[in-house]
Parts: sequence; C-alpha cells; structure tokens
Amino acid sequence: MRALDKKLLRDVWRMRLHAAGVALVLACGLSVFVMAVGMRGSMERTRAAYYTERHMADLAVSLVRAPDRVAQALAAAPGVEAVETRIVGYALLDLPGVEEPPSAQLVSLPADRRPRVNDIVLARGRLPDPVRADEILINQAFADANRLGIGDTIAATMHGRRQTLRIVGLANSPEFIFVSGPGELFREAGRFGVIWMGREALARAYDLDGAFNDAVFVLGRGANAAETIHAIDQVLQPYGTSGAYGRDRMLSDRFLSEELRQLATMATFLPAFFLIIAAFLVNIALGRVIATERSNIGLLKAFGYSDAAVAWHYAESALIFAAIGALIGSAGGIGFGRAIADIYRDYYHFPRLDFAASPATFLGAWAAGFASATAGCVVSVLRAARLAPAAALTPPRPTAFFAAGKGLTAFGERLDAKSRIILRRIARFPRRAATTALGVSFAIALLVVARTFPAEMDYLLDVNFGVANRQDVTLTFVEARDVGVLHEVRRLPGVLYAEPFRIDDVVLRHAGRSVHEAVFGVPANARLSRMIGAGQAVIEPPPAGIALARALADKLDARPGDVIRIEQARGRRIGAEVRVSAIVEPMIGSSAYMDLGALSRLMREPGRVSGAHLMMDPARYRAFNREIKETPGIAGASYVSQADVSMRREYEEGVGVMNFIYAAFAAVMAGGVAFSAARITLAEQERDLATLRVLGFTRAEVSYVLIGELMALALLAVPGGAALGTLLAIWLMRLFQTDMYSFPFVFNPAGYAFAITFSLVCVLAAALVVRTGIDKLDMIGVLKARD
Amino acid sequence: MDSRPPDQTAQPPLFAVRDLCKTYGEGETAVRALVDVNLEIMPGELLVLLGPSGSGKSTLLNILGGLDRATSGEISFEGTSLSAANDRALTQFRRRHVGFIFQFYNLIPSLTARENVDLVGEIAEDPLSAREALELVGLGARLDHFPSQLSGGEQQRVAVARAIAKRPAVLLCDEPTGALDVKTGVRVLEALQQVNERYGSTTLIVTHNADVARMAQRVVRFGDGRVRSVEVNSARVAPSELVW
Repeated sequence: MRALDKKLLRDVWRMRLHAAGVALVLACGLSVFVMAVGMRGSMERTRAAYYTERHMADLAVSLVRAPDRVAQALAAAPGVEAVETRIVGYALLDLPGVEEPPSAQLVSLPADRRPRVNDIVLARGRLPDPVRADEILINQAFADANRLGIGDTIAATMHGRRQTLRIVGLANSPEFIFVSGPGELFREAGRFGVIWMGREALARAYDLDGAFNDAVFVLGRGANAAETIHAIDQVLQPYGTSGAYGRDRMLSDRFLSEELRQLATMATFLPAFFLIIAAFLVNIALGRVIATERSNIGLLKAFGYSDAAVAWHYAESALIFAAIGALIGSAGGIGFGRAIADIYRDYYHFPRLDFAASPATFLGAWAAGFASATAGCVVSVLRAARLAPAAALTPPRPTAFFAAGKGLTAFGERLDAKSRIILRRIARFPRRAATTALGVSFAIALLVVARTFPAEMDYLLDVNFGVANRQDVTLTFVEARDVGVLHEVRRLPGVLYAEPFRIDDVVLRHAGRSVHEAVFGVPANARLSRMIGAGQAVIEPPPAGIALARALADKLDARPGDVIRIEQARGRRIGAEVRVSAIVEPMIGSSAYMDLGALSRLMREPGRVSGAHLMMDPARYRAFNREIKETPGIAGASYVSQADVSMRREYEEGVGVMNFIYAAFAAVMAGGVAFSAARITLAEQERDLATLRVLGFTRAEVSYVLIGELMALALLAVPGGAALGTLLAIWLMRLFQTDMYSFPFVFNPAGYAFAITFSLVCVLAAALVVRTGIDKLDMIGVLKARD
Repeated sequence: MDSRPPDQTAQPPLFAVRDLCKTYGEGETAVRALVDVNLEIMPGELLVLLGPSGSGKSTLLNILGGLDRATSGEISFEGTSLSAANDRALTQFRRRHVGFIFQFYNLIPSLTARENVDLVGEIAEDPLSAREALELVGLGARLDHFPSQLSGGEQQRVAVARAIAKRPAVLLCDEPTGALDVKTGVRVLEALQQVNERYGSTTLIVTHNADVARMAQRVVRFGDGRVRSVEVNSARVAPSELVW
C-alpha cells in the first residue's frame, strides 16, 4: 500500500464521525431509491408474468344478453387471440356470523375447461364440480377477511332468488388483484367479494341459458385495440352492449398502475432530498479537512506530487464516504424491499412476489451516491489543487471578520458579546450556515409532507362521510324501481329516513368525443348524499339540464350552454340531447349530475329510482339486516357509517408506521446536519471557547455559543422548511390526484407544529452531544498553541 | 531567605503556596513539573517568574490562575484554599479575580477590540468601560477594529485591556512579549506596569527574558521545577529602559 493510501485511510478514520453522518444520510436516500425502483420493477414483472400466465384480458365488454353463437363472431374480430364469454352478476350475501350482508360479483367458469381469458389461480381447494350447481370458489382476500374456509356455506340473493352455496376452493385472479365494489371509493376486502361458479348454475340464476352478458378478450401481438373494440361493438350492437373497453377502465389494473406511479414518485422525491443533504455534508466536512491540512498539502506538493494527485487524494475520501453510504443503502434497500414485497404480496394475493432490484438499479444508486459526494467535494478539492506549495506551508491568515451591514450592526449592538459571536460567525460563513439551515429545513419539509398525507386523508374521509355521504346505509336495487318502493323501504326496521337516487351508466358525446361515465340523479335539497364542491359547499343539482364535473367537461370539451348527447350504455340504449347548465368541481368523483326527476324522465323511466340512501336507528341494525337478507330485488347494501370507522382504523395503523419511518428520516437529516455542523464549529472555535472558559465563563455560558449558533440556524430554517413542505405537499397532492379525487391542500397546524418541534429537538440533541466536547476542552494546551 | 518585599511584611499574602508539587504522567514516564514550591505573593506587587522553558514557571502560573490543579501541596488565595476547589469554584475564581494575558493574545476573532473587552465586562461586577480600558493601553482610536485588522502589539494590548477591564485582583501574564518585537513589547509592559500601579492589581509575568525581570519588584527564578531563588529588586527600571 502506498504511503498516500495509508494516509487516506487514516484521514477517513479520523473523520469517521463525519463519514458516518454522510454515509447514513446517503444510505437513507439510496435505500429508498433501491426499494422503490426495485419494488416498481418487481411489481411490474410480477404483474406482467401473472397477466401472461393467466391470460389477463386486454379488452372487456358487458352487455344485456347475447346468444352463445355470437362468441364465434367475437373470436373472429380482428386482433382477437382468445375470447371468453361469461355470465357476470351481483349478489347480496348472507354469511354465517356476519351481520351486515356484503355483496359479491359473480363470474361464471366454463364447465369443461379453464377460462381462456382471466384464468384463476387456485390458492386452496378444488374447482367446482360442473354437475353440482351449488359449488363455488371465492376470492382469497374476501375469504380471509370473513374467516371463510373450504366447506363453509353462504347464502346469496341472486336476481331476487336466495340460494345456498358451498365453498370448495379459494382463488385469485389477475382480473381481481384489487377488488372493490362498484362505486366504492375505498377497498374493503371483507365487504365485497368475487364468486366463481359453474356457468350453467349462474345461467339458470340469471335466466341466461344459452346466452352470455359479458366477454373478455386477449389480443394478439400487434393488434390494433381501437380497431378490435370497434369490431366487437359492431358485433354486439344488437345485444345491448355498453361498449368494449381496455385496461384503462379495468379497476384493478388501474389501481395497480396508480400504485406503481406512486412508487416512481417516491423513488425520486425522497432520495433527492437525501442526496442534496449528503452533498452539503461532504462539502462541510471536506472543506474543514482541507483547511486543517494546508501544511500537508504544501508538503505533498513540495515533494513533487502534482495538483491532480493531491486533488484526487482528497476527493477519494469523499468517494469512500459515498461508497460506504451506497453499500449500506443497497443492503438496506434490499431489506426494505423484501419487507414491502411481503406486505404487497399478502395485500394483493399475488401468487408470488419476490423483491429483486436490477443491476441497473444498484448502478443508479451508486452513481447517484458518487455524484452527490463529487458535487459536495468539488469546491474544496479544487481549492486544494490550486493551493501554491509555498502558501500552503505558511500558516493561514487569521479569519478576518468585518462589520456587518448597518441593519445587522444595529441589531448586534443590542445583543451580548456571546450572541454577537454567533451572529458574526453566521454572517462570516454564510455557505456553511445555509447548509445547516437547508438540512434542517429539508427535515421540516419532509415532516410537513408526511403529516399532510394523513390530514389530507382525514379531510377526504371527513368530506366523504361527514358531508357528502351522511347516510348510514345505501341500498341498491337489482333494477330501477318505481319511487313508490320507498314506502316499503321506509317500513324496513330501523329506517328513519330514506332518500332516493338514480345512477345511469351512460356514454356522453360532444364535439366528436365520447366518454363512458355515470350520471347521477340527485333529488333537490338532498339531506343524505350530496355533491360537495370546494370549501365543502353543497352543489345542488341543476333544476334543468346537466352539470358536468370539470374533468369530465374537459374530456368532452363542453362548456355551459353546449348541448351534449347522452346514451344509456346498456339495456335499451335510450339517447337524448341535454344542455350543459353548469361545470362543477366535486371533490370526489368526476361524473355528471342531474335532477332526479329530470334524469328519470330523460331515460324514459319517469319515477323510477336505482336505490335509496337510508338514515338508521343504530339500535335496530340487526333486525334491518335480517330483513334485507330475505328481501328480493336488493343488489347490495353499503354500510357507509361503518365503512367510515373501519377505514379510519385501518388507515391509522398504516399511518403510524409511515410516520415512524418519516420521523426517523427527518431525525437523520436534521440530526446529521446539526451534528456535523456542531463538530466543525467546536473544532474551529476550540481556541475561542477555551479562551472564554479561561476568562471565567461557565460551561453553560460557553455552551450557549455553540448551541446558540445551531439553534439560531435551525430557527432560521423554520419558515423555509414550512414553505418548502407546503409546496411539496401541494405538488405531491397534484401528482396523486385522479379522476376520482381532487385534493385541496389541507393546512394541518398540528402537523406543522410537530414538524418544527421534532426537527428543532433533533438539532438540539445533536448539539448537546457535541457540547460534551466543551467539558473536555484543554484550556492550557489550546491557549499555548499558536493559531 | 526572606521572600517578602520589605515594605509589605505586615500584610497577609494574596497567594500562599506550600509544598506544591505537580507531576504529569505516571511511572517511568512521569514528569515532575513542580517540586516542593513554597511562595507567598503579596497584594499589589509586580512579580516576574523567570526561567528557561520547562522550568515550571508556566505550570505554577496555570495553577495560580485556576486552570490546572496541583498533584500535592496547598495553595490558597486570600486565605481560601484553591487546592480542593471543584471546577465550578475555579471558574468563579477566574471570573471574579483573575485577568489572563497569553503569548498569542487569544482574542475572539469575531469580536471587535471594544467587544472583546466588553466580553469580560459582561461577567464582571464593577468593570471598567471598554473605552476606558482600551484608552489605558493606548488603543482609544482602534475601538471598532477586528483582531485581523490589528498588529500583534495592538492585539496584545487589547488582551491587556480585556484582562484589566474587570479590575482583577491578580493579572497573570504568560510570556506576554514572547511574540512581539522590542518596541511593541515595551509598550505592552508599560501598559501592564501602569495597570499595576493604578489599580493595584497583583501582576505576575512569566518570561524567559531576563531583561524583563528588571522592572519587577521581586524576581522568582525557576529551574527544574523548583524555586531556585527569590530576589527583591532594589533598582527597578521603567519598561521604556528595557532592551533585549
């Protein structure tokens, strides 16, 4: 080993605390990077493999009824590689020991073979015997949530008829990786399930013998999806199709894509924070080392080492810091990724999900680590390279201080001398002061963001459950019923108030564009389920015409006053022209809204409603539940108030873990930067602090100079950190915004208070640790030595 | 050997040092910096501790100033023992009674001359104003200069002003002219003598420069950690007459 290399290793060892700080900060950032990028890749590969292996549909279509023979025409459509015609329906379930009846989607299985499209994975048990009409498979998540197992029986009200079904197996499917009920905002595994059963039995239940009402397609390589959709729609036009659609409208796939997108955001946003901080830390540490190594630099150059060799010698130490950080970050990322993969696998019931980060991911992480260290050391290293040997061998001039600007001077005059020392040092070393303040402000920003998410979620839940949907239960009828049915509903046990609603699945057309959406019929002055706009204001349905959500209006390029065409997407496919009376900005959903009476007249079903929102007497749920399980014509019951409670509980558990992780990251950020800054301040001011001790200042008074400087910088960081956090939170909310939700920024004072207090405490803790150095000051030794 | 100056025998000593020893390290590597030192220092006297480097004079100064502790022996200040004092008590002792002047000035670079003096004024009970102290050392016109804007001699005079601003009972000066040329060194010594005469601060000057000893009332010579001699200076000269 060359002597210079030995020196390098000893230098790094001498700087080990700084090295540890840099490595730790880098490791945090890079572990998140490796985890998020690796997880994203792993999820994508898993999804792709799962989709290929189980023939996930590229296109799907639902219709009213088409005879089986039409399947051949569908198979012959251009681009179609495989088609599976199915019977799909919805049922209200009655589970043993479960009071509130959940709902399920029923999907037929071919009698004599596995499905050609959207095949299932049998997790346990066996396939239903085609001869036995009561045998079913249920999806694993639903079974787990309701503690259902093989051999259990459940009752289902299908198409108004109650049947007893026996579970013979638990299954998963690429089609239902994410399962949620129609129109539900949030996943509740136990409230909505998937049931696969024999086609014949299902056909009998839905009066679809020799016919189908749903089809799924796998496209061949290079197929033109638009062309295929057009062909399918042509074939199915006589059979009440709502139009074929691609994966962009398949809920499960859409949700997964959203999850992947969030991972991608995470892979850039958090690591960027840490990489910047690490660069600054390297800058501080190396700047200090090179300042103290002046004479060594002079000696090396006097011996004949080139400027480049000297520069490389010092750059190497920064790269060693980075390598340590990247190593820990890579290992941490793998560990982190494996833990997250387990969570994802259990949550989505993937047949398998192994975390694997590609070599490119690790390469990217290491490159980012080295880039950060290089950026951090370049200024100091260049200074070392430029130092002339003769100048380097003479002692440095004492640090020159100058009077600050007038304003600062006036301010300084009111301070005591110790505070003036603090103020002058901050003004004299602005770059370092800025670094410390920036590190602390990043920590504050990170925590502000972390605390805004739950506040945002809380707000969304508050709006959804507290203002928009105040009903306890929503009943959905199998098909639209006369509004007179409300009398019957009101007679159900415990119902205090019932409010009708109507939903029509429609295609809206305007300016050559068409969008498949739901149009909601809302009664005027609704008390339970209402449309909520900005500032939680209730948006009343227009007395005439149609109101469009902003996102929908944009898709249709429609403005108030425009006339658009709406067509029922299924059934009789009635169409009509309607004038856009308003553009609204609902917080949840992006649909079209009309007056209930106007919508039912437009659909030529005057007085018919799709369901009712109910306000309940909580004491009488049991009787109510018993009754509706026996009532035909009810497709589903959604327990809104209970969903609110369970969702908040589930969400809070997740938030706890996330808050802990973010707090740990922020502690590393604020603490690491403060620790590094404090150690350098102590090293630089050793002589001054010792002088103060000699002059008779107590340890506490001398500590004030050290801790005061850090706390002053931390306080300076507060406004910037809060502002940065706010901007980031707003930006991230925009990123996460979908057609389904719009997130107004929620100001959460408690979150800001926590972010600021926690970061300041981290700085104080780091400063107090370094402060112990003041107790060990060698007053005599320091004072005897020359500067 | 009468170690007291003739005219002050009636007063109790400011410092009384009895059988003082200071040993650094242990076993074979132990270095005996002070060996059985006995000395009494009278209020208001100007004493020079003379000796080659390593003779123990600075060690004694540090112990007298409460920066270091003796290994054995007794030391008292105004009748109160310093030997058993804890860190807090020593800090208070320095704060109330001691002014230090060092070879390398040790000014706070981020504070102006005035503020360096104010620093001490803030923790003293009845301090001189910074202007007063700096005028006394001839720096009335350099109040708002930072250390980096002052010459070595000027910096040392700021250090003197800082030391005297609290009107200390004792001024401890460790090689105060060691880093200065003759001319500026003389100015610093003049300032010290002036303070000694005007405020009656007991002044101890540690030096290896025998010429400086000529301005002292008494000269304590050190060698190998022991007091070799204590002489009363019968013919004191003014600092301006010193040459080296």
